[in-house]
Amino acid sequence: MIATSIKWTRHNLFGKPFDVALSLLVIPGVLWIACSILDWALTTARWDIIVQSLRVLMIGVFPADQAWRAWTASAIMAATLGAGLGCVFSFKPHHGLVLALVPLLILIVDHGDPQNALSAAGIVAATSLGWVLTSYVPLSRKAMPAAAFTGFIVVVAVMAPPGVELWGGLLLSVLLTLVTSVLSLPIGILLAFGRQSRLSSLRIICTWYIEVMRSVPLILVVYWIWILMPVLAPQWGLADVARGMIGFTIFYSAYVAEYVRSGLQAVPRAQTEAARSLGISEFDINRSIVLPQALRVVVAPLVGNVLDIFNSAPLVFIIGLTDFLRAGQMILANPQYGDRTFEVLSFLLVTYFLVGSMITYAARKLEDHMATSAR
Amino acid sequence: MNAIVEMKSMNKFYAAHHVLKDIDLAVTRGEVMVILGASGSGKSTLIRCVNGLEMYQTGSLVVDGYDMPVEADRKLGGERELAAIRKGVGMVFQQFGLFPHKTVLDNITIAPMRVRKKSREEAEATAMKLLDRVGLKAHAHKYPGQLSGGQQQRVAIARSLAMEPHLMLFDEPTSALDPEMVGEVLDVMRELATEGMTMMVVTHEMGFAREVADRVVYIDQGSIIEIGKPDEFFENPKNDRARSFLARVLRH
Repeated sequence: MIATSIKWTRHNLFGKPFDVALSLLVIPGVLWIACSILDWALTTARWDIIVQSLRVLMIGVFPADQAWRAWTASAIMAATLGAGLGCVFSFKPHHGLVLALVPLLILIVDHGDPQNALSAAGIVAATSLGWVLTSYVPLSRKAMPAAAFTGFIVVVAVMAPPGVELWGGLLLSVLLTLVTSVLSLPIGILLAFGRQSRLSSLRIICTWYIEVMRSVPLILVVYWIWILMPVLAPQWGLADVARGMIGFTIFYSAYVAEYVRSGLQAVPRAQTEAARSLGISEFDINRSIVLPQALRVVVAPLVGNVLDIFNSAPLVFIIGLTDFLRAGQMILANPQYGDRTFEVLSFLLVTYFLVGSMITYAARKLEDHMATSAR
Repeated sequence: MNAIVEMKSMNKFYAAHHVLKDIDLAVTRGEVMVILGASGSGKSTLIRCVNGLEMYQTGSLVVDGYDMPVEADRKLGGERELAAIRKGVGMVFQQFGLFPHKTVLDNITIAPMRVRKKSREEAEATAMKLLDRVGLKAHAHKYPGQLSGGQQQRVAIARSLAMEPHLMLFDEPTSALDPEMVGEVLDVMRELATEGMTMMVVTHEMGFAREVADRVVYIDQGSIIEIGKPDEFFENPKNDRARSFLARVLRH
């Protein structure tokens, strides 16, 4: 182990004179930066602010006495996400170990106060439970779409009573990402097929929609929909959250459509011709032959799109919503905490990084899964 | 006359390019017709017209009792005849055209289930019988990518046969294969021919043409130059161009 790492170091970092010079410059520099950050994090930084405002960061201005609703909703979403992971790759003990670190870490930072740690433990347990279920009971995978749909309805039902306008924090960011990703996929697929349609009116409308959405900023679309919805449909009385989700979905559907279209074009013409020669209808050809192969090609960009949605979620501040980043700003707006900017921003950065890495990790597993199931 | 395919002064253009010129051709039921010609002569286009993968512009084409609509009518929605024709006409391609995301078994059952509305049990039973016939029963649950070219092409033949076609089209079925795999595919085709399947075959396998064909058609630059019994055609071609074509392909 040590021998191989020494060998690796000599080969890669000290192989040629230029490498040696570069390594001598860069390695101490990196070490110095790492040490300073670690030193600050362990001695100077006062992390109690994160502990005290964890609830605000996670669920925004959602009333404290109703927080159980938010935790329940989080647990349901976690279980659904876990079950989704289980369809792609099996739960292994080391996954459980990594997940268990989260409540443990919170417990340590909280100086043994179990309140936050218990909520986190519940969410982690829900994730593992869903994950284990679909990993080892193949039959349960068939129930996934129905279960996810029911789960979503329950989440909304549980979260709604205190007022939809109070949704916020990381929970809102995740909810917005989930709803947008799930809704924009079918819409994007329809748009992609529409853009290739033989009916020129449909083709022109879809092309026009995609091109317009891709040439304007997201923030403009979201703001626009927010203003326009009450004018177009005043009787619906849609909440800001719903309008935000609609804006995001409308915008990102165009991007999904372009990814899917590139996948459709990657399916060889011979596939369509072979299917036609068997007498299969055009609808069935698109649904069963072309689309599955197209989606396989574009899994990576589509998941990249999910990451993009998650990282764009802070833009909902423009319509007055409190997402994860905005919640952090709200804490800093308190004069009492004015000197804790670095602590809060570091926490936001690390959390965004962790969630993003998790999405990327799941995406890589999904790609492997797709590759092995159809060689 | 018991013709399954009947072309009368059929013409096809790609824009200004005249691909098929006044084709008159009839294929009788049970006949094996081999179509020969240099590359680019229009022989693939000719058989691709029979199941409507290519459209023709003027003349007439009757397949299995249905009028194949000309291009102008296809655009107006003359698709019902097309669907009926494709149900009864199987086709095997140079590049196999198997669906890579489906197992061999699913490749074979999808059309009978979707188009002929057969139950899964019935379709799978037929599929296993056909796989047995082409010698690939053991590979039913593999994906196409796990099979050799010759095996894939035999699966493709089985897939077409699952629709119980009245006519089989072969578009250079052995051209993409390694030489040692050509034989196994030709064997399956030979067997089909002896069972009385009507076949139109575009191929460069002169030995197969000579042995199995009832008639040989020679096409050059989009026109039929010569039609005849294989023995007559190969021994004593009447046309100069056919003679020089044979001299070129039979030299090695």
